[in-house]
Amino acid sequence: MNINFFWGIFIGSLHAMVPITITGTGETIGESAGLFNIGLEGILLLSAMTGALGAEAGGALVGLIVGAATGFTIGLVFGLICTYFRGVQLIGGVGINLFSAGMVAFWLIHLGVPGHHAVAEESRMVDISTPYGSLSPLIFVAIALPIIVYFILFRTRLGLKIRAVGENPQAADVAGIKVNLTRLFSTAVGASLTGLAGAYISIDWIGSVTKEISAGRGFIALATVVFSGLNPLLVLLGGFIFGFFDNLAVWIATMPAVQKVVPWQFVAMAPYVVTLLIVAGVIGRVRFPAAMGIPYERE
Amino acid sequence: MVRRESGSNTRVGDVLLEGKGICKDFPGVWKHLILNHIDIDIRAGEIHTLLGENGAGKTVIANCLSGFYSITDGQILVKGKPVTLRSPKDGIQHGIGMVHQELALVKPFTVAQNIALGLSVSDFSYPIQEVRERVKALSDKYKLYVDPDSRVEDLSAGEQQRAEIVKVLYHEPEILILDEPTSLISTDAEHLITALEHMAGMGYAILFITHKIEEALQVGDRITVLRLGKNMGTKDSSRTDKNELVRLMFGEHTPVHLERKPVKSDSIFLEVKDLDAPSTNGEPSLRDISFTIREGEILGFAGISGNGQSELAEVVAGLRKVAVGHVYIGGEDFTNRSPGEIIWAGVAHIPEKRREMGVIEPMTVAENVVLKDVHVAPFSKNSFLNIPQITQHTEDIVAKFGALVSDLWKTETRILSGGNIQRLILSRETWRKPKLIIAVYPTQGLDAKAIEFTWQLFMELREHGTAFLLVSEDLDEIMALSDRIAVMSRGELVNIIDGAQAKREEIGLMIATGSSRQ
Repeated sequence: MNINFFWGIFIGSLHAMVPITITGTGETIGESAGLFNIGLEGILLLSAMTGALGAEAGGALVGLIVGAATGFTIGLVFGLICTYFRGVQLIGGVGINLFSAGMVAFWLIHLGVPGHHAVAEESRMVDISTPYGSLSPLIFVAIALPIIVYFILFRTRLGLKIRAVGENPQAADVAGIKVNLTRLFSTAVGASLTGLAGAYISIDWIGSVTKEISAGRGFIALATVVFSGLNPLLVLLGGFIFGFFDNLAVWIATMPAVQKVVPWQFVAMAPYVVTLLIVAGVIGRVRFPAAMGIPYERE
Repeated sequence: MVRRESGSNTRVGDVLLEGKGICKDFPGVWKHLILNHIDIDIRAGEIHTLLGENGAGKTVIANCLSGFYSITDGQILVKGKPVTLRSPKDGIQHGIGMVHQELALVKPFTVAQNIALGLSVSDFSYPIQEVRERVKALSDKYKLYVDPDSRVEDLSAGEQQRAEIVKVLYHEPEILILDEPTSLISTDAEHLITALEHMAGMGYAILFITHKIEEALQVGDRITVLRLGKNMGTKDSSRTDKNELVRLMFGEHTPVHLERKPVKSDSIFLEVKDLDAPSTNGEPSLRDISFTIREGEILGFAGISGNGQSELAEVVAGLRKVAVGHVYIGGEDFTNRSPGEIIWAGVAHIPEKRREMGVIEPMTVAENVVLKDVHVAPFSKNSFLNIPQITQHTEDIVAKFGALVSDLWKTETRILSGGNIQRLILSRETWRKPKLIIAVYPTQGLDAKAIEFTWQLFMELREHGTAFLLVSEDLDEIMALSDRIAVMSRGELVNIIDGAQAKREEIGLMIATGSSRQ
């Protein structure tokens, strides 16, 4: 084992961190405003698909934009249902997951090998080469984004507005803030980040689309947001923890000595269990916005 | 917005805000008009009090005048010009600021952050430094003593109230509307009223809402009385008196005379013996408490809250664990038995926190009324609810206390006023004629008429043989109802004295010094 081996694990962890961190950071914005979107998994899946199609039509950058736009659109529908139409957030989120699973399965039948669509090499994201391995540019986005969002949430009036509509919408209303519009905006922006993360999975990191491509990462991102107590900086940390174990698991599972004894599916479970343990271990101390999940009506 | 500092063009006595024929209904929720053609005007330099019992429509008219609610009919005029107020922001732009009863503050934010939230500045700015300085200035100018950097949830009720006022003043309103500002701050009210009088003297027009007649007379230059959404008349406070206001508020009625016959029975219903209960979260722990209550006897616990009275009530109701000692109910040992068993032994509980402990807020009124009786006939049979029976029963209960509810099966209890929720709990807990009623601050938030009704009901139940463990901060209530009066201090029982011979001064001294000796 040499130093390059550790660099390999580290860089692998960073790549596995990206979808969790970007998705979680987006969800932090939405949850701060009081909307809990359980449909992140579906958004990741659908935008992995649309992102791949976009990339093949117009290049990797277009793919990322299409992915983010997919997330934004779904976030907008979800947000409208849960604000102006006072729908139940849980149902809205479950709806997204079911819709996306069906949609992607349907598309995959018609694209190349049924059930598996490989993104053409020339359409994939070009990574930055370093002596230790190649790095996706989105790693830098995933690190910068939580810092920017932290600053916005806690050091700008916009952040006060977002957190106020989640905590006490009536007080925000009295202060002249458009409660439903702020909530809609927050969840839609959050969902568009999830869409970006979905496109990253298909056109950058994995390079293919299957109907299991999101692999529960949307739910892990949700759990990470809970663990963070809506602090984007802790989402970054949580994302890295998951990424590290996710990467480690792949390496362990592929060791010949292990392969003979333990089925790889069992080892692949490890990062999920570890992440959930960490989340469960600290959940008691976390405090959520008081008006989370409750639609607002003035009169 | 008019900058008072730059010389205002209004003079004392000018009408700044006027409502003409204001109507408001909530279609689908209430059948009658909540506001029925209200005329009201508020003038520069005066405190105008708006008086009315629970459900009279005081908060609704305040919300209409400040732009929080839209009006169904009528006109609002600011300095004689008709305006349309679509949101609180419109109100602020016309110089109208409102201090809400349920304070409009975001609890985890600091005072300065709460104010910055409402400023018309760029979304990406963070003007905390500027806000902080102005809050300090405002707080000095009006003697409100608010620290801009404290988190709202760390402040006392009185401090939160003042923070809310500073927040409203920050926008330099000319008209200030305060919705029951003294309901949260019984001890701090003088301080607030002085500040308001000071402001009226500076030319502000103030609308002060209250349900307390004495307060209306003390504070107001003019008094408008509201009853069931109608304006019953506006009076100069120098030319009216308590009797006239009572008549306007409630219509004609004769005050009750409470008659208390001696306790008939000698049999003890509740006995608490050598009781110790540990504290949780810094509440006082109970130490060495022993007392008895006979059938048909009212034992009143007087004194300032926080000395263990609520904890004692919880112990008897089975909600708090006993470490040492015993609780006997009807002669049987009920120490550390479950609340359910205690209820079925004939104990009713009117809890201190009505919204949290008394009702399940998102459930309907009918559901809350049968909450404790739903599993017995006639309210359910073979696990199925008997809807007609429950409806009938709920209608009786609601009518008995005059609580205002529209559709019993549709109205979420959450939307009822605090006073109406208390009426609901009182009637639910008393209709079965329980053997013991644990009544903690039973008349808190009720208007004079409902208080009288409650006292009379307690007396009837006492006559019938119900024992009462009464906890109240209101000495009048304690003196009017109690056969014996107990005083607690820091979790210990100071003394129990005979109610008939008790003197206010004596009880006052026991409460103040926490000892039974002078």
